[in-house]
Amino acid sequence: MSAQATDEARYLAAFEAAERNGAAHDPTWLRELRRDAMAEFTRAGFPTARRGNEPWKYTDVRSLASTAFVAPDVTEPLGEIDLSPYDLPCPRVHQLVFVDGRYAPQLSTDPPSEGERASHVFFERGDGPIVGRIAEAAHYDVPLVREHLGKHAGAAAGAFTSLNTAFVRDGAFVSIPDGVSVPEPIYLLFISTARPERPTVTYPRVLIVAGRDSSATVLVSFESLGDGAYFTDAVTEIVAGPGASLRCITLQRESDAAYHVSTTNVTQARDSSVSTVTVDLGGGLVRHDLSVLLAEPGASASLNGLYLGRGKRHVDNHTFVDHAVPGASSDEVYKGILDDDSRGVFVGHVLVRPGAQHTVAHQVNKNLLLSDGAEADTQPKLEIFADDVTCTHGAAVGQLDPAAMFYLKSRGIGEAVARALLVHGFVREVVDSIADDAVRQYTDDAVMAALRAG
Amino acid sequence: MLEIHDLHASVNGVEILKGIDLRVDAGETHAIMGPNGSGKSTLALVLAGHPAYEVTSGSVSFDGADLLALGPEERARRGLFLSFQHPIEIPGLRLDHFLRAGYNEVRKSRDEDEMDVLKFDRLIRAKAKDIRMDAALTKRSVNEGFSGGEKKRNELLQMAILEPKLRILDEVDSGLDVDALRSVADGINALATPQSATLIVTHYQRILDYVVPDAVHILIDGRIVRSGDKQLAAEIESKGYEPVAEAAGLAPAGGS
Ligand SMILES: Nc1ncnc2c1ncn2[C@@H]1O[C@H](COP(=O)(O)OP(=O)(O)O)[C@@H](O)[C@H]1O
Ligand SMILES: [Mg+2]
Repeated sequence: MSAQATDEARYLAAFEAAERNGAAHDPTWLRELRRDAMAEFTRAGFPTARRGNEPWKYTDVRSLASTAFVAPDVTEPLGEIDLSPYDLPCPRVHQLVFVDGRYAPQLSTDPPSEGERASHVFFERGDGPIVGRIAEAAHYDVPLVREHLGKHAGAAAGAFTSLNTAFVRDGAFVSIPDGVSVPEPIYLLFISTARPERPTVTYPRVLIVAGRDSSATVLVSFESLGDGAYFTDAVTEIVAGPGASLRCITLQRESDAAYHVSTTNVTQARDSSVSTVTVDLGGGLVRHDLSVLLAEPGASASLNGLYLGRGKRHVDNHTFVDHAVPGASSDEVYKGILDDDSRGVFVGHVLVRPGAQHTVAHQVNKNLLLSDGAEADTQPKLEIFADDVTCTHGAAVGQLDPAAMFYLKSRGIGEAVARALLVHGFVREVVDSIADDAVRQYTDDAVMAALRAG
Repeated sequence: MLEIHDLHASVNGVEILKGIDLRVDAGETHAIMGPNGSGKSTLALVLAGHPAYEVTSGSVSFDGADLLALGPEERARRGLFLSFQHPIEIPGLRLDHFLRAGYNEVRKSRDEDEMDVLKFDRLIRAKAKDIRMDAALTKRSVNEGFSGGEKKRNELLQMAILEPKLRILDEVDSGLDVDALRSVADGINALATPQSATLIVTHYQRILDYVVPDAVHILIDGRIVRSGDKQLAAEIESKGYEPVAEAAGLAPAGGS
């Protein structure tokens, strides 16, 4: 058996153990979904090849593949966790918290599940959002979950998606009924205890289904309490119905030793608008695959991101916007701040399919290099098979403007604060794209704190 | 307050300042006049500590301290302020955030408490009103899309907030019409105190009708070739720089 096969075999063994323990209550469709995903993962393997492996040419996952991550110990009681550093500056209304992959009822706004209450949550709420657990939704066989889970991030999305699906048991299920606007942000918080003695793997999973003409803001946060190494393999599926307006913000602040691989798949119906903002302030090796399918005319997507590279951090954003129909639009702005020996990668793929006339697609990636050791790779990939379209793309790599630096210093501002202010100014456009006041303020504070920490 | 002795400075290896001597005391206003390219802005920037300008010899003392040994932020914290001839635009950095950061850094350096957002907002509005600047501008990015006059007013606002001891005003009147010039000059005069000193750097004499100098120095080709009282400014206004330059054995640098 080759070394590579051994890496996958570890996950297969973990999968079989998990299926033996307590999978019996899950509906058949879910068990089959997992089994097929495991087969797919075993077949594909980790994308470790360093040749002929275009999607991973900038990001080497060999050390991730070879590390023997283990499942978190679910028998251990959760210690006291102080959530106050993660409080949004607004009332807590919809909050789900998972610690090392485990649902933490005492930290979440929904009380622990009891059969009747849970069934009420999933079947009887008409005027508010459903913010619940995938485990419960699966237990009650909620049709929306059966219909959508694993359908938008299928096997084609890659080995990491398959791996997540192979282990999907729980996670967050958010459903906004038709016509419902949720004023408060929905907050999904995934916390890793990150104890150094035990490198663990978790599979955070999120499914968001926004009904016709609904509106909501969802913040998905990845936080770490320690500085150990661990592996977060996250998958988010977003389905926006006709006329839906959805804003999804991801804030990643994993430990510097963490591997964070996430796949997000968005499917948009007619006249829907989805805005994603991906903010990376932590992690050791970070990879996001964000795919947006503009499936019906009038759909519009905005994809924004900012990443802060420090130390040896490696952040790779791959985005894919699929203009499958005429009259859809996409607008993309990613900004990177790269310091020390960090590396930022941006690959923005836009596909305008034949017949997708009147497509409007804009894409910009800008990077600020703060040290000689930092590196930015940026690669727009535009494939346009329609002739009546407006598509633009731009990329820039620059340094802090010394004239601006002097201007700030001449007002008494010291080197560190001056840098933080200028860098913050550089990425403010991305933070400002967050419409919800509380989430924007929270994200802005997180960005500023991360900048000043350097 | 400020004593400059035989100051030489270069940029990119080219000597621009060729031996400047100047003394400014508290309560005084001095004007530095000279044709374009004579080194006026260079002098102002050297005093503020711009890293592109290399001081090759000479000394500058400010309030008894060796100014040239201090970084630009330290000079500002000790009360030196430069109103830039060309204030830079900084996209993304909100003016009020910038102002508050500067104000609080200066306070911190004096072991004073930082001022919170709400109090500072009131301070900004009061100071903006004093100098007749629209406070709404402070919610925008620093100087981005500001008119020439708005940029100059913004410099003045920063000066009003930082309350410096030594005010170096480089071409503060450029881009201003007569009414704006008068109100900017009123601001400069109103902000003056017996403990502060002012160095007005200008190409034209007209600002000196409003901010009246105690002394006028003519800078040509990196040297002060003549000093006098405000009459000297009037003489330049009517005859230009050429007679002064010729008397000093120089042709005026740059254009008229
Ligand atoms: N950063 C610089 N690089 C090269 N030359 C410079 C620079 N700054 C100023 N100079 C030169 O120095 C001379 C004096 O410029 P400056 O001090 O701006 O004059 P003034 O303000 O009197 O018009 C000019 O010849 C100008 O071209
Ligand atoms: Mg000048």
